[in-house]
Amino acid sequence: MRPSAFDYHKASTLDQALALLAEFGDDGRPLAGGQSLVPMMNLRLARPRHLVDINALPLDAIEIRGDALHIGALVRHERYFTDPLIAEHFPAFLEAVHWIGHPTIRRHGTMGGSVSHADPTAELPSVCVLHDALIVAASASGERRIPATEFFLNAYVTALEPGEMVTAVEFPLPSGPTSGAFMELGERVGDFAIAGIGVVLGHDGNTITSARIVCSGARLVPVRSADVEAFLVGRTLADPGAQEAGRIFSAAIDPVGDHAASAAYRKGLIKELTRRCIAHAAGKASA
Amino acid sequence: MTMTETTLTVNGQTRTLDVEPRRLLADVIRQEFDIAGVHIGCAHGACGCCTVHIDGTPRLSCLTFAVQCDGRDIKTVESLGGFDATHVLQLAFKSEHGLQCGYCTPGFLMTLVPYVEENVARGTLPSDEDIREAMSGNICRCTGYHGIVAAVRKAIGDQIGGGQ
Ligand SMILES: Cc1cc2nc3c(=O)[nH]c(=O)nc-3n(C[C@H](O)[C@H](O)[C@H](O)COP(=O)(O)OP(=O)(O)OC[C@H]3O[C@@H](n4cnc5c(N)ncnc54)[C@H](O)[C@@H]3O)c2cc1C
Ligand code: FES
Ligand code: FES
Repeated sequence: MRPSAFDYHKASTLDQALALLAEFGDDGRPLAGGQSLVPMMNLRLARPRHLVDINALPLDAIEIRGDALHIGALVRHERYFTDPLIAEHFPAFLEAVHWIGHPTIRRHGTMGGSVSHADPTAELPSVCVLHDALIVAASASGERRIPATEFFLNAYVTALEPGEMVTAVEFPLPSGPTSGAFMELGERVGDFAIAGIGVVLGHDGNTITSARIVCSGARLVPVRSADVEAFLVGRTLADPGAQEAGRIFSAAIDPVGDHAASAAYRKGLIKELTRRCIAHAAGKASA
Repeated sequence: MTMTETTLTVNGQTRTLDVEPRRLLADVIRQEFDIAGVHIGCAHGACGCCTVHIDGTPRLSCLTFAVQCDGRDIKTVESLGGFDATHVLQLAFKSEHGLQCGYCTPGFLMTLVPYVEENVARGTLPSDEDIREAMSGNICRCTGYHGIVAAVRKAIGDQIGGGQ
């Protein structure tokens, strides 16, 4: 199939893009990498009247600003593989990127597009929730920062208002040594995940001092677990209790069942992926 | 709906067209430039058949609007080794049985040519696992992929002199 008709506007500055988005409201959408929007348009699942091409805007920085890593909305997925700041501070993030689609998709897809598209199985929204990132949203009337945990409202639904666009995502830098991992299962590598688990462990020597865990694909938005995080804190890297943590996380989630997998299968998968992911992260830290 | 004036260079041929914004680059190359090597398998990013180079970088032409490519240099499979298919990777596809019906082949070639070139420039012979990762966005219904992996290995191996 082919898209329905629309008008194309190429923005050369952020102000111009925001003015166009304000003018079009619900009828307008930013066009970034096009790796989710164009398939949706080809299938006529989306029929925007106006596309505002934002690819020429200077929103592609990865840099430390204050105590956060600033990632511009137009940073393409493949950049994370070679960026030293991601490798140094966000190992779970780096592992997650390996699971996003295929090389040609990763070369063009963007951070802003991925979080705005808000696919329940997507890796970057999960990574944002895992790290308590802030989504920077701009509109003609100003800028606001939305915590990732409040940004994803439902499958493909975010807190963005008509006329607003994402300009960056800010990831708070970890305060001490951390280790992290991200694992998922899909039908084939690069396919949308059935479920994925990300974990970040802060540690002081052998002792786990802070823990974060997220699950993608099981619910309509990424979910954290305060119970699993509390369980892990105070344990050791040598014996993090990965199996028990998997049991707790799996019991706490009531997963969706769909064409890819039943709810019961997802529950089992969450338990096992959680075990493996924590064991992997703890193993890397103590190595 | 307004037409948008767009200048495209495809395989060295430059034309300025009035195009509807909704038209996919893949369709414009096939219909306006009469270049049939761009194949459309799925039109939603899943098969890789429509891969072309835009300013040297592989991109899915079914996920790209022609109006986005104003002033860009586009290359299709025809640019590699012409109708005789004499590019080193095309020759390797032939000798290693990397194709059967050929529908997916232009997409595989356009995805893998830069990968072969990068490895040759570095003098590295990648593992089969790495080759499979590089071609993971392309689907082939015929070959079972082994012949394609062998072709990539041969095209790189022959050029860096390490053999297989
Ligand atoms: C075959 C295939 C496999 C894929 N596999 C995966 C996968 O495994 N995991 C995964 O996470 N993704 C996957 N993707 C999607 C890919 O990662 C996309 O790049 C990403 O979801 C969207 O980014 P984009 O820049 O292409 O956005 P676009 O497609 O340009 O836009 C997506 C949506 O976000 C809006 N938008 C874009 N930028 C902004 C902005 N700055 N502010 C506000 N709204 C904005 C658009 O209007 C649109 O609604 C896959 C895609 C394909 C085709
Ligand atoms: S036709 Fe473009 S990816 Fe299938
Ligand atoms: S050769 Fe027939 S699909 Fe690949």
